[in-house]
Amino acid sequence: MDLSALVEALGGTREDGCFVDAWSVAATEARRLTLGTKDARTGSPHAPLALSESLAARFKIVWSDGRISRGVLDRRQIEQDAASALREARLSSYDDPDAKIVLGPASFPDVAVFDSRTDEIAGGTVEPLAPRLAAIRARVSAHGFRTWSGSLQAARATARVVTSEGLDVETLGTSWSWHATFDGEIGAGISRRSQDDEASFLARLDRAIPVALALREDASKRSGGVVPVLFHPDVVEELFIAALLHNLDGAAVAHGTGAFRREQFHERAAVLREDLTLRHDPLVPFAAGAYRFTQEGLPARPVSYVEKGRLVSPLLDTKYARRLALTPTPAPSAIDTLFLEGPAPLAYDAALAETAGGALVLGVLGVHTQDFTSGDFSMSAPQTLAVTEGGRFAGRLRSTISGNLFALLRSPALRLVSFPGEHTPGLLAPCGLDPV
Amino acid sequence: MFLDTLTSLDPLASALVERARVRGAYLIWRAQERTCARVLVRAGRVEEIATSVSSGHGIHVVDEHGGVALASRDDFHGEPALGLLDRALEAAGHAHRLGVPPAFLSGLAPERARLEPTGLDAYRRFDPSRAGKRLAELEAEIAARAPGLTTTLALSTDVDAWRVVRSDGGDVAWVMPRCVLRFSASSRGAERHTVGASVAGPTPDLLDDPAKLATFLARAEAAARLAAALPDAPSHPAGSYPLVIDYALAKGLAHEAFGHASEADGFRSSVLAKDGRFRAGDTVGASHVSIVDEPVAGDHAWQPYSASGVRRDRATIVDRGRLADALTDPWSAPMSGARLTGADRAESFRVAPLPRMSNIRIEIDGASPAPGAFEDYGPEEVRELLAGSGVLARHPEVVFLSGYSGGQVNPTTGDFVFNCKAIYTLGEGKIRLHKPAIFSGSMFGALHAIREGYGPLLLDAIGTCGKWGQSVPSSGGSHYFLVLEPAPTVRLGGR
Repeated sequence: MDLSALVEALGGTREDGCFVDAWSVAATEARRLTLGTKDARTGSPHAPLALSESLAARFKIVWSDGRISRGVLDRRQIEQDAASALREARLSSYDDPDAKIVLGPASFPDVAVFDSRTDEIAGGTVEPLAPRLAAIRARVSAHGFRTWSGSLQAARATARVVTSEGLDVETLGTSWSWHATFDGEIGAGISRRSQDDEASFLARLDRAIPVALALREDASKRSGGVVPVLFHPDVVEELFIAALLHNLDGAAVAHGTGAFRREQFHERAAVLREDLTLRHDPLVPFAAGAYRFTQEGLPARPVSYVEKGRLVSPLLDTKYARRLALTPTPAPSAIDTLFLEGPAPLAYDAALAETAGGALVLGVLGVHTQDFTSGDFSMSAPQTLAVTEGGRFAGRLRSTISGNLFALLRSPALRLVSFPGEHTPGLLAPCGLDPV
Repeated sequence: MFLDTLTSLDPLASALVERARVRGAYLIWRAQERTCARVLVRAGRVEEIATSVSSGHGIHVVDEHGGVALASRDDFHGEPALGLLDRALEAAGHAHRLGVPPAFLSGLAPERARLEPTGLDAYRRFDPSRAGKRLAELEAEIAARAPGLTTTLALSTDVDAWRVVRSDGGDVAWVMPRCVLRFSASSRGAERHTVGASVAGPTPDLLDDPAKLATFLARAEAAARLAAALPDAPSHPAGSYPLVIDYALAKGLAHEAFGHASEADGFRSSVLAKDGRFRAGDTVGASHVSIVDEPVAGDHAWQPYSASGVRRDRATIVDRGRLADALTDPWSAPMSGARLTGADRAESFRVAPLPRMSNIRIEIDGASPAPGAFEDYGPEEVRELLAGSGVLARHPEVVFLSGYSGGQVNPTTGDFVFNCKAIYTLGEGKIRLHKPAIFSGSMFGALHAIREGYGPLLLDAIGTCGKWGQSVPSSGGSHYFLVLEPAPTVRLGGR
């Protein structure tokens, strides 16, 4: 990746009588192949075989008068037009004493993030996609699904961070993802740094089919109330973990716009049940969220946000770490390097048996409409299965669910549940459920 | 001014069209240049000013066998572009190996046009530092009106320029300018609630527009007071109720409940289609209710041409209770049986366009008047409006959903949800605030449930619409307020 024109311009820029005192550049050069399927039409004009090439750089400039400029440059600016881009950047500069930190060289850990098979696909080799598509189509046909949608994607990306303080680190990585949704309802998928093997792919696909089939039958009418609700890991990620991350964000903590106050971190305040931990480890080989360094040039390392129910650290870039007088933390970039942990999880079948009289919530609508600050939630859960004695599915139960996320995560009745093949545990807890 | 780069690309466009012709392919070439800025102010100080530029082009090809592929790159150099076209054609040639069926386009009338709205020099004059100071002043003014809250103000500017050139001679270019001024307030107690408000305009001059700022300050003050009050508000019980929704929620209803299901790329599974064909003529709502989508000049979601270079038409999706138009593009129109409305939009040159909404609204025949500005109506005034027109005689208590905070739909099932910022129960002699709750239901039930409308059309409710991994600006509205009769398939969540 050639950043020489940009780096040279940073060294020679003078604007308003000021020069560039310090700078950092985080650039990514990528190529990507995507093949979509919409309504069972693979590669249709709305989801075509797509190839892309890109180069972009996120920059921070500390000017000699202390002002800060931040932004994103595209390939054209990086390669041909850096000087005028920096002139524009000066016009958008502002005072921010906490944002002046530019990192220098450090020791960076190694983690496996490159897979040559995935790289080949990203470069345009489509043959490995054919058996995957055939397997999905075979299941759609065998189980009489009306339609399916999904995508297969491979990418290769070089990430590089260069700073005025002598840091220059680069890594080459790949990413692979696929998902398939049956009848517009429920499906399966994964994101990783390397292509999953065929057996794992088929197993993941096949695990989605029983629940997709169970959603075809309507459950008999039930009354609403507080019942045992088993939240599928997808819902746990989308709702519970997303809400925690929203409130753990350093900016939200510093500005008082999240649920957790800054003094609560210094006090290690108890905010979840005393046996729950939320931690991040970006050094998991081939995890989608694995990396060696952040865009600021911070080395990757494991970090705990909540330990045994108590606040440990917000998610902190260098700016908000300085403002909160805490240590910066490498931020999660995908769910598979985040770990929600607690007491030994219930096995899936045992958890279903304990859900009798309640429901398995597979998907929810409207997560982005919720106020994560309060933790209150009220959502539609159209993909919900009624569960009866022995943990048997008893048909689809269109429902709304409601409650408070923090109250659920503090509930003595909360159980973690191990779902086969899933990284994140499911959660079983009493919850308000109102069948429509 | 903002089309200079794209209009200078004639030699590249011609070379690509010619290379496609020689290879026996049909080309839709999209070039985009987008410049964004965001100024963020909290507690009286500028927390961030961030700028970004992205430009590049996408090559959407159909080869002689109907194979389709898209290739993109973020520069406008000739050699890489021609190489990219060759790679795209090679990829299109792989299509049959992956079981991809051939694709066919509608016959298109080639149009040549350039469209750059007036007033864009305001972007050249835009000074982010000055904007930061102005935001801090506005924040102080809001804090004086509604003290004791943590507040955030942000101004986003976005100039999105496109050029679409086709093998058939079509060549259109246009600029879509957008600015949004946003406010959010969070309560400071042990239980925290956050409530937002916004206004939008085509240029950053909105910071100097007294009328726009008056609207913004009124909305921001209301949001701040609500954030302060919500922690002590009870939840509302779940169920079906007589409802009154404001125009922003009506936009959400039109958008989530009907708009998405009328997008023709999903007609093999949409509830508004059968066997892939649009169910034009079917009765889907009350006979005084219509849903219309069209680009509105100066609006947040304005787009005059589609991403295939077709002029975007007004689409009357529901015409007095009956399905009429679908949102179609040149690929989906022939298969859907619906006329071409030029509805395809793309987030960027990198992605394939999809039929999408622009500004969508619900219109009611014979809506009652509601004098004054929308911001003049708090829950007390809404109750008076309902009492005066006999709604409270029909229903002793009506549930008023106020403010839109996003929604979602499953077009396959017709299930939709959206959320409000607050719930008020309105009855004779009493008004009570409740925490927000999800509003969910079936699209047909909702449209049949609409009974009355009040006030003129107000179409400035803005949002961002996500579909298939792409986000585009959306907008719309309705009359100030709509009344919905209780319906078993339309429910308020709650606890």
